[in-house]
Amino acid sequence: MAVSDVVVVEKLRKSYDDKDVVRGISFSVKAGEIFGILGPNGAGKTTTLEMVETLREIDGGKAKVNGIDVAKDPQAVRYAIGVQTQSTAFMDKVRLTELLEQQAAAYGERVNPTELLSDVNLKDKADSFIENLSGGQKQRFSIAAALVHKPTVFFMDEPTTGLDPQARRDLWELVQKINNHGKGTTIILTTHYMEEAEQLCDRVAIMDEGEIVAMDTPANLIQKLLGKGFKKARQVEQANLEDVFIDLTGKELER
Amino acid sequence: MYVLIILVALAVLARLYMRFTGIKRRGQQLKPALPAARAAKTEPPKHKTIFTVWTFAKISLRRYFRDRVALFFTVAFPLIFLLIFGSLSKGSDISFHIGLINDSHTAFSQKFVNQTKTSKSFKVDNTVSTLAQAKAKMSRSEIDATILLPPSFGAVKSGHPTGQAVVYYDQNNAQAAQTLQSVLEGQFQGINSKLVKTPVPFSVAAKSTNTQGLSKLDYTVSGLLGFSILGLGVFGPANYFPQMKKQGVLRRLHITPLRVWEFFISSVLSNALIGLFSIAIMLAVAAGLFGFHMVGNYFELAVFIVLGILTIFGIGLAVGGWAKNENQSAPLTNIISFPMMFLSGTFFPRYAMPQWLQHISAYLPLTPIIDGVRMIATEGEHLTQIGPQIGLTLLWAVVIYAVAFRVFRWE
Repeated sequence: MAVSDVVVVEKLRKSYDDKDVVRGISFSVKAGEIFGILGPNGAGKTTTLEMVETLREIDGGKAKVNGIDVAKDPQAVRYAIGVQTQSTAFMDKVRLTELLEQQAAAYGERVNPTELLSDVNLKDKADSFIENLSGGQKQRFSIAAALVHKPTVFFMDEPTTGLDPQARRDLWELVQKINNHGKGTTIILTTHYMEEAEQLCDRVAIMDEGEIVAMDTPANLIQKLLGKGFKKARQVEQANLEDVFIDLTGKELER
Repeated sequence: MYVLIILVALAVLARLYMRFTGIKRRGQQLKPALPAARAAKTEPPKHKTIFTVWTFAKISLRRYFRDRVALFFTVAFPLIFLLIFGSLSKGSDISFHIGLINDSHTAFSQKFVNQTKTSKSFKVDNTVSTLAQAKAKMSRSEIDATILLPPSFGAVKSGHPTGQAVVYYDQNNAQAAQTLQSVLEGQFQGINSKLVKTPVPFSVAAKSTNTQGLSKLDYTVSGLLGFSILGLGVFGPANYFPQMKKQGVLRRLHITPLRVWEFFISSVLSNALIGLFSIAIMLAVAAGLFGFHMVGNYFELAVFIVLGILTIFGIGLAVGGWAKNENQSAPLTNIISFPMMFLSGTFFPRYAMPQWLQHISAYLPLTPIIDGVRMIATEGEHLTQIGPQIGLTLLWAVVIYAVAFRVFRWE
């Protein structure tokens, strides 16, 4: 284990009712990396994350965050990690500022909610309730909430599922801002959008049926594929419909 | 007068409520938000656990005051019950509904009828004028008994009026008739002694031992407070905990270092404050509209009520904390709370139950709470005098929370 490895997973296993969901996977994530876990539904991505996040019991193998064994000291791990949760995971009729105060209080910390909200461009929504935000705003808010205690590692489970292309691009920018070119927070995310992985991730692990079938930088993975003599069936255009949509509906925030 | 006091209190409450929840009056400017100055470093709290617990409690209190449905079920709903039961027991001085048939035309009988009609012990049904009508009404239990004054009633014989009143009663109401008979006998004895001077060797003097006797309403109020505590403590959390699980609220908290007991304490705290708020309103209305007299010490009552809320809320925590969804929690809630709702003395006083049932219901968690509230509020007892009630409640609290901790699930 290298000193700069923030998350180390060794032969991690999980099974539900005799069905192996995660089959002894290993990977490590360096400080400042954006690490993606790709795979179809049911590949075991979410279960893997939940074990590292202290939410699921580990059936076999080891997971360490900041050198702390997740199984042995989950409480210490909780201070080091931030997890983006579903946007419904916030109570209605509570102001955004209050939700942030409450989230920070869970860590025994006092924060300046307005400042945190302006980091995710929601300052003018400070007095709103969560139910009055748009999908993209909710997603940005849940990121602000997950980062109240300035964690070392930030986990995002399918952060852009269900968002429109514009909101998705805004979110990518926010993720890059949080990572700050590798000087900020280490990020581990799952996705099943290949484009997202290519845009954001320094390295990706591709999972299928509970195993990691490939792990490298997106560029290297593509090179390897091309090296095998792969050719796409159809020539790809220089722009696609999504680019047209974004061109017509406006630029992303803060470019 | 009371109406005025209640109105003023409501106005003050409304103002406090607006400040607390931050609702703006028209034309009022909100203070400019703090500039997001990074220099304004926030100090870490000194007592982390207290800070955590209080922040959670504070925010759920604010949320409560913004939630009209919750306000309805915790404040308006028990008030409706109070209004119904309060009105029912308001006429509790009248013990008998009777028919009064006067077949006599003497002056004495007329005087007797007038006296009876203004009497506090009887409520005379004026629609009854024949025995047939009276019999029909008695068979439907609309009236308890009928007094018939025969034509000879009040006729003057040997210098003073004489006569015999007849009490008619239905088989199913023999007890009421017996009581009525003895009441009448007492009245006649009083009249007799005025008419005929005879020495009375033996007599009975009745003296009240309680300076302020318990009215039916006093029983009702303590029972309704118990009902309120039950609704707040069991139905509330058994409903919203599974909901918070479904939304992932608890999952989000599970990822943080927040401990189960910190979460429990903050929930109990906010629930206790909400309970005190709701009960204060109930007591104010009971005192203002129905003349409920609080005999005991308010502080002691508050302390005991908080203990009661803590205990009963534990049941809701256990059910809601265990249940994965509403389908699991709803039937369990009913199984647990219905016996208490009917046997602990919420709507029906326990003394009216058969002995064996009283023995069983005495040990339900809500029973000592209702008893204790009544003993403090209407009998003026102190906390030191209701040791058995406090002890039983505490014992239940220990058992309930031991279970609640064991079965709690974040997801």
